[in-house]
Amino acid sequence: MSLKQVSESKIIKNQLLFKLNSFTGVFTSMLALQLLAIFMSYYGSSSMGGGGVYGISYTFSYYSANVVIAFTFLWIFVNSILITTRAYKEDDFHFVTNRMTQNLSNILFLFVASLIGAVTAMLSSFLVKILIYFFKATKGNYLAVDLNALEWFTGLAATILILFMLGSFGYFIGILVQWYKKLAIILPVVLIGTVMALASQGHYILPEIIEFYFMEHSFIVFLLKVIGSAGVLFAAAILISNQQEVRK
Amino acid sequence: MLNTDHTKPIYIQIAEWLETEILNGNLKVDEKVYSQYKLAEMFTINPATAAKGLNLLYEEDILYNKRGLGKFVTKDAKEIIVNKRKNQKLKNLIEELVLESERLEMRDGELMEMVQAVIMEKREEGK
Amino acid sequence: MNVIECKQLVKMQRNQKTLDHVNFSIKENTITGLIGRNGAGKTTLLKIIAGYWRKTAGDINVFGVNPFNSLFVSANTIFVDDQMSFSNSLSLLDLLEEAGRFYPNWDMSLAKRLFDYFGFLPNQIHENLSKGKKSTFNMIIGLAAHCPLTIFDEPTTGMDVSVRKDFYRALLKDYLEHPRTIIISSHHLEEVEDLLEDILLIKDGRVHLHLTVDGFKEYAVGLRGNSALIYQLVNEEDVLYTNRVGGEYVIVKNTFSHQQAKRLGLEISPVTPNDLCVYLTNTTKGGIDDVFKTS
Repeated sequence: MSLKQVSESKIIKNQLLFKLNSFTGVFTSMLALQLLAIFMSYYGSSSMGGGGVYGISYTFSYYSANVVIAFTFLWIFVNSILITTRAYKEDDFHFVTNRMTQNLSNILFLFVASLIGAVTAMLSSFLVKILIYFFKATKGNYLAVDLNALEWFTGLAATILILFMLGSFGYFIGILVQWYKKLAIILPVVLIGTVMALASQGHYILPEIIEFYFMEHSFIVFLLKVIGSAGVLFAAAILISNQQEVRK
Repeated sequence: MLNTDHTKPIYIQIAEWLETEILNGNLKVDEKVYSQYKLAEMFTINPATAAKGLNLLYEEDILYNKRGLGKFVTKDAKEIIVNKRKNQKLKNLIEELVLESERLEMRDGELMEMVQAVIMEKREEGK
Repeated sequence: MNVIECKQLVKMQRNQKTLDHVNFSIKENTITGLIGRNGAGKTTLLKIIAGYWRKTAGDINVFGVNPFNSLFVSANTIFVDDQMSFSNSLSLLDLLEEAGRFYPNWDMSLAKRLFDYFGFLPNQIHENLSKGKKSTFNMIIGLAAHCPLTIFDEPTTGMDVSVRKDFYRALLKDYLEHPRTIIISSHHLEEVEDLLEDILLIKDGRVHLHLTVDGFKEYAVGLRGNSALIYQLVNEEDVLYTNRVGGEYVIVKNTFSHQQAKRLGLEISPVTPNDLCVYLTNTTKGGIDDVFKTS
């Protein structure tokens, strides 16, 4: 029987398709979380009221999709860890792969997931507003919808990038834990410990990280920061997993 | 069809099966015998084992080669097989018989009488 | 051409040598039976060949390259065992289609015919299958992949006798049509021996024997008779097994003169490969009886 050469790109493509077909749990969990978030936004939202002038009282209610987006962040982080676990990882090795094509197809999968997660999260902000328009905006209440197409698309792009970066962070952590199981306990202790220790010395690292990424005014710089960070994390994950044994 | 106690090498069993086919007249002089692949398929055995069985018969001049066509039954095949079986198989069987009769401490001639009796029985049946 | 070449292959796992300087090679288009006790190192060896596990030392070449992390070896090799589990999101039919996407020689027509023959339903989920059915499904993937190197590690776990028979026949027929290198590890040597060309016997992480099946069958014989006469004929170190129930009975390497044995009144009997395997892999010459020897 003649030996066949296969191209890496073809295998990566096949694996991406395989993952999109078989990792359906990733997307059902996303839908469930986003629906929950929409529900929470619909009922709970920040509002401020004002006293009456000329006998008129007013209440401003802000309905936004922030909860949905926050939940989506959480979702990508958790699922990027999950796909490094044995059950997912071994699936690839029933068919044709090596560790490089597996990692690259996982990264592509996380990118597609970020894309889908961001689009649904952003669209759900419309859904929240529409729901409110129909059910809450009764007579005497007015709905202000703030929408600017360019801003919306920038927001979408930013959400995709942040999801992708969070995915790379989760993926890196997942690979680390697969490499050395005890890190599942050590890592959170060290991370939380460091943040708290720094905080006790008046050094608040979390706001600094958020500021570094999210308070960036130039979209290009933001893009470079996010892609750069994701690239470093993915590269580290590939390096670590490239020597790992599978199907124990 | 093959011995199932797994003690006799399969290639020998294959050779013996082919010999019996020749003795029975199912395979005639200058007729092509089954290929190793056909034999492998027939008996669910490895084709290399089947080839070994065919080769054994080739070495004993029971089969001859036609290049690219396969193996065929030689003119003397039947005679060679009969002689071989007489000399080897029958001799072995008789040795076993004698050994067993010694163990049972049978008197001289008793074994011969038994053999004679079986022959007579067979003849009766044949009538 | 050799498809697999192992030279001084060593594998350490948790400070234990699971493979201890293994040397052997496997020729192209042969069917080899990998035989050995539980824990002898069969699965370790197969997983290194398939590129899943790393070697610790020595050389391993599959199709001329180191299999670990090789996409080339992965594309031309399929490894089937009873640990295979698949995503619940995919039906059995989906799985066949996914496999077909990956394996260059995939034979969908054969896969579907076997699928129907063994009574699978397209919408079934792999995880819900019984153990024997899982093995049967995995076997279909292993056969239909038509990989130049096809490895079955204990493929018949849980299969009933008739399915096992069907499997062996399917394997042989497909092999005759599409010759390729096949390795089967099995506890049931008596079931697979007819299919095999070679036997690779592994004991304590080492290659104990690598012979043709017929060579294996003729490797040893049983001798029964007077103990003194037996040891007059054969060397003590050639004895693989002794049993003193009903006179001395030994299983001994087939290197002595049969004629002389007969002259001495010793009874020679063949040994089934399955029994021979047991005796070869025993750690003592008396087997379990030695445990109960209290003298």
